[in-house]
Amino acid sequence: MTTQLTPTPVASPLVSPGSGFAAAAGRWAGALAGAIAIFSVLLLAKGADPLATLGDMVVSMTTGASLEQIVIKAAPFVLAAMAVVLPARAGLANVGGEGQVIIGAVAGAGVGLVVSGPAALPLMLVAGALGGALWAGLAVALRVTVGVNEAVTTLLLNYVALDVMLYLIYEPWKDANGSGQPATPPLAIEQRLPLLGGTAVHAGIILALLAAAAVWLTLRHTAFGFRLAVTGGNPEAARRAGLPVARLLLTAMLLGGALAGLAGVIHLAGIEFKLRPGLTTNIGYIAFLAAWLARHNPLPAVAAAFMLAAITVGGDSLQLDSGLPAATVNVLMALILLAVLGWTAKRSPS
Amino acid sequence: MSDLVVDVLTGAVRGGTAIMFAALGETIAERAGVVNLGTEGSMLVGALGGYALAAETGSPWVGLVAGALAGGLLALVHAVMVVWRRSDQFATGLTVMFLGLGLTSLFGAAYVGRAAPGFDPVPVPLLADVPVLGEILFQHDPVTYLSFAAAPLLWWWLRSTRGGLLLRTAGERADVLHVHGYRPGLIRGAAVVAGGALAGIGGAQLATAYAHAWFEGMTAGRGFIAVALVIFAAWRPLWVMAGSYLFGAALALAPALQARGESLNQFALDALPFLITLAILAILGRRTLRAAPEELRRVFT
Repeated sequence: MTTQLTPTPVASPLVSPGSGFAAAAGRWAGALAGAIAIFSVLLLAKGADPLATLGDMVVSMTTGASLEQIVIKAAPFVLAAMAVVLPARAGLANVGGEGQVIIGAVAGAGVGLVVSGPAALPLMLVAGALGGALWAGLAVALRVTVGVNEAVTTLLLNYVALDVMLYLIYEPWKDANGSGQPATPPLAIEQRLPLLGGTAVHAGIILALLAAAAVWLTLRHTAFGFRLAVTGGNPEAARRAGLPVARLLLTAMLLGGALAGLAGVIHLAGIEFKLRPGLTTNIGYIAFLAAWLARHNPLPAVAAAFMLAAITVGGDSLQLDSGLPAATVNVLMALILLAVLGWTAKRSPS
Repeated sequence: MSDLVVDVLTGAVRGGTAIMFAALGETIAERAGVVNLGTEGSMLVGALGGYALAAETGSPWVGLVAGALAGGLLALVHAVMVVWRRSDQFATGLTVMFLGLGLTSLFGAAYVGRAAPGFDPVPVPLLADVPVLGEILFQHDPVTYLSFAAAPLLWWWLRSTRGGLLLRTAGERADVLHVHGYRPGLIRGAAVVAGGALAGIGGAQLATAYAHAWFEGMTAGRGFIAVALVIFAAWRPLWVMAGSYLFGAALALAPALQARGESLNQFALDALPFLITLAILAILGRRTLRAAPEELRRVFT
């Protein structure tokens, strides 16, 4: 087992070889039911009625207003999930989505402070993407030059990003006219993302879905996508075949960081409008879960992002209706992913 | 000036203890071939478990045991997933961290702002009166004194006992264990759980001896620092001890300077431990990986 060269295939469990669709669907249903069962036990331990709580969540997810909320929440989740999917194809673990999202929002807000008029919004989006790419670039530069594992460095950079944002909010960029919680001045109307039709949904979701489609196309139908997959499958073989492995890793991570940065800036320009402490509410981490739920396949990852967005919205209602903290649903998300990670894939021989 | 040095060094021991327990735990898991990013989660549940049980029973020692149990239990999830279900170590660890974050926010809300008995400093007779060293080392809480023994003990155990040998073999050449009729999976699983229990003790120390409070997300990345620390300490317990105090010092610098009227940016100082970690990782670079246990190297590359 020490000589195993190829990692476990990352094919979707739905099409994993040697198992029928029914069996796979059964495993998924079992995994989800298991996660919900454990979650119910925890709710009971907390003294809440699991049936009523879960019922509340489902009902609150399906009203018109909350459908809009789900789409709004899903937009950054989709982008930040793509930020995990793309590097993962090259075998990189981007755990730094949270920090890249924050730096994206910070870069966007920074441009928003100095540029006004119609050019502001496009420039903010570009700045957000560049900021995210820069943040991911720090980690991947350490990986390709001195061989430091990127999972560790991206995690550490998340905390640095948070401190950078807090510093800006509390000192140089603080809104002098603001009251209560410190924040940056709100974006001007023309700096905000337009709304779609007569809804509360901002245009960020279009951007997110376009980006997801682009990631899917790139991975599936381009030479670059193929090279990434070869590098991720077996870096040694890729090197011997003459692929520029370091450059591929660098590109994949920079693109991933740019997508996460974009997630941050659309979150800012679509719904938040100003930097504040607690701005990103774990977008990066939840998107990481979404990407793994889909085993790094772009289109299923979009579906997973929407599912986790729905659970998040359901969680907000828990806070109002049952007095449970909104973060309670983090438990459910983690349990679902653990169940799916552990019990839906074909077990590799041990 | 020398005053400042003593203050920072005292603070280094005070603030480094929680990280040291977590990092020693992570050392155990990694020497057996498993990376556990869930260490952050184990610290969190340990902090809440320790604080809650101290509040309910009135005894911080009961809290400490509860913290160890809670941390070990959460790590059991990681162990089952990566050892027996063979899931990805980084993804699973992060998910376990997220689980800990959610669980502590679900069950911890009741303890925010609630008082609980904690560990108070107990000066060691005689030793505490030694100039300078006495103040730095011997005027702490009892759990900190335990930590003085923990690192040398782990060093000795890994090096000189049969159990230590089995653990190291699980991390270096699991096949050898197979051949000799041992079950490497069982050893790894036990190592992860033991590591989580130590992280739980670290969390409990943080809540009941350092902060004397519970609040959501109070570990603030200390568990991740612990994971990075183990890497650049080259998986050696005594270096882990030294590294923990380095972080303790980084944490203690801010209040020590502020107390002397220096106005420093709070957030720059908060970022300092993370920046130091990144800088050391960058400087050591590939050299660290050479010292990595064989089975672990496959996880890292």
